[in-house]
Amino acid sequence: MNDPLAWVNGSDAPEKSSLDLGFMALTDCASLVVAATQGFAQPYGLTLNLKRQSSWANLRDKLVSGELDAAHSLYGLIYAVHLGIGGVAPCPMAVLMGLNQNGQSINLSRGLQTQGVVTPEALERHVHQSRTKLTFAQTFPTGTHAMWLYYWLASQGIHPLRDVNSVVVPPPQMVAHLQAGRIEGFCVGEPWSASAVKENQGFTLATSQSIWPDHPEKVLGCTQAFVDEYPNTARVLVMAILEASRFIEQGSENRRSTAQLLSAREYLDAPLDCIEPRLLGNYDDGLGNQWQDPHALRFFAGGEVNLPYLSDGMWFMTQFRRWGLLREDPDYLGVARQVQQLALYRQAAETLGIAAGDSEMRSSQLIDGKTWDGSDPAGYARSFRLHALADDASRQALR
Amino acid sequence: MLRILLINDTARKVGRLKAALTEAGFEVIDESGLTIDLPARVETVRPDVILIDTESPGRDVMEQVVLVSRDQPRPIVMFTDEHDPNVMRQAIRAGVSAYIIEGIQAQRLQPILDVAMARFESDQALRAQLHARDQQLAERKRIELAKGLLMKMKDCNEEEAYTLMRRQAMSRQQKLIQVAEQIIAMSELLG
Repeated sequence: MNDPLAWVNGSDAPEKSSLDLGFMALTDCASLVVAATQGFAQPYGLTLNLKRQSSWANLRDKLVSGELDAAHSLYGLIYAVHLGIGGVAPCPMAVLMGLNQNGQSINLSRGLQTQGVVTPEALERHVHQSRTKLTFAQTFPTGTHAMWLYYWLASQGIHPLRDVNSVVVPPPQMVAHLQAGRIEGFCVGEPWSASAVKENQGFTLATSQSIWPDHPEKVLGCTQAFVDEYPNTARVLVMAILEASRFIEQGSENRRSTAQLLSAREYLDAPLDCIEPRLLGNYDDGLGNQWQDPHALRFFAGGEVNLPYLSDGMWFMTQFRRWGLLREDPDYLGVARQVQQLALYRQAAETLGIAAGDSEMRSSQLIDGKTWDGSDPAGYARSFRLHALADDASRQALR
Repeated sequence: MLRILLINDTARKVGRLKAALTEAGFEVIDESGLTIDLPARVETVRPDVILIDTESPGRDVMEQVVLVSRDQPRPIVMFTDEHDPNVMRQAIRAGVSAYIIEGIQAQRLQPILDVAMARFESDQALRAQLHARDQQLAERKRIELAKGLLMKMKDCNEEEAYTLMRRQAMSRQQKLIQVAEQIIAMSELLG
């Protein structure tokens, strides 16, 4: 009998025709859901099976074990696994593409609002004058939300590891914990901030895009072993998700129907009115301010969102270093070159006629006025007034 | 420890085979009841491997087991006292995972069963891949068909037709294939 898969040999068809993709119930998983359900992968001979996960740790473990082929992942999580920070042995990881930018936020409780804590300055005063420490939640010790929360607090003069308590709460449980008074604030992705505002449990004090306009957020992550074993599959997977990302941004009608799809029970299982407004850039902070955000959640922007810049990956390592999660400087550039699959991404983008540029770095100015362009990562990591570079503080950060 | 269901419904004495399996460290469940109960027994015993005589009338029943337990298939291993390589080759081609000759020594059983398990697993993986490929090819054809119908109905181009179908699917929290099927059904109804 002939091997029925023999035709694959020597062609660039996918080596594996059915992939299990992990995702967390967050608005920014949209491009995966749209790609898998709206026929974007079929033309490449690929079936995408969506697997919703209950926690980031679970998603990580399944990625490493191979139970998931690829997943909607926190940028920092991929680097933490690669570097062996946290609950797993180091495993070579890969970032296939960026999935989105912007769209996370820091929220405070109505309790703090009644005490007049409705501005960053008021929060800074409250933290330094009150005898009890406030407790802030984020979603994963090495995740993006921890890094946005720490960066923002520090930019306001609040030391995130000394002046406040930092705890981890899975995104869908944030509002319940806020309501129960177990936390006073949190940093999370949508729809869970909008949902706190909608349920009148809290208000949005800062968006993540106010910390870093067009910051990197979720990526399509997998193990390096997956890329090595199934290079064609990895490439067409990127192509299918790129096309879905482009589709989501073709007009507000597509964004609206994306919101409708996401609200289904098997994806976010959340009301449409918590998903749609902020997906369309319409913000309401719960304090009476409404605005159309110029740096709202975006999935494509002509491909700008999706290029896995080395400097984006390196930034997370500088923050791990800053907050003592890394006790020594890693080989920032070397590690980023291993993890970011720039060449594979460029092949995929160019096949689709999507601009992929020649640069490996991009330059951005963050909320504290500092510029990050990837040129001196070790110096940048050491350049902050508030930090936890000492060893005793690193234990706190790991807690 | 591997659990083996030994189907014992022929005149052949399986005593020696059973002893050899036990000696090799397997848990052997001797099944000598009515073959009609076989599917239920497989369901309750949940063996890792099913061993059956090539001459067993139960082999037809096993066909049923294979169909019923399609979602949780198990490797089937044959035993025989005939040393005819052609018979074995045919059976293996037909989906049997391995062959054991009566009178085999205990220490040779382990590698044979290991190979049977490995072969079975790779067969299953291949089968699942082929199934997925067939299915998505079929879906793709249906989506293409629906797109063509919609282009005619709406007098629009290919990309517009795709966008319309996708928007419809997304707002109704459905997959593209579901909307494609609805379009095809509607067009059949309207003739």
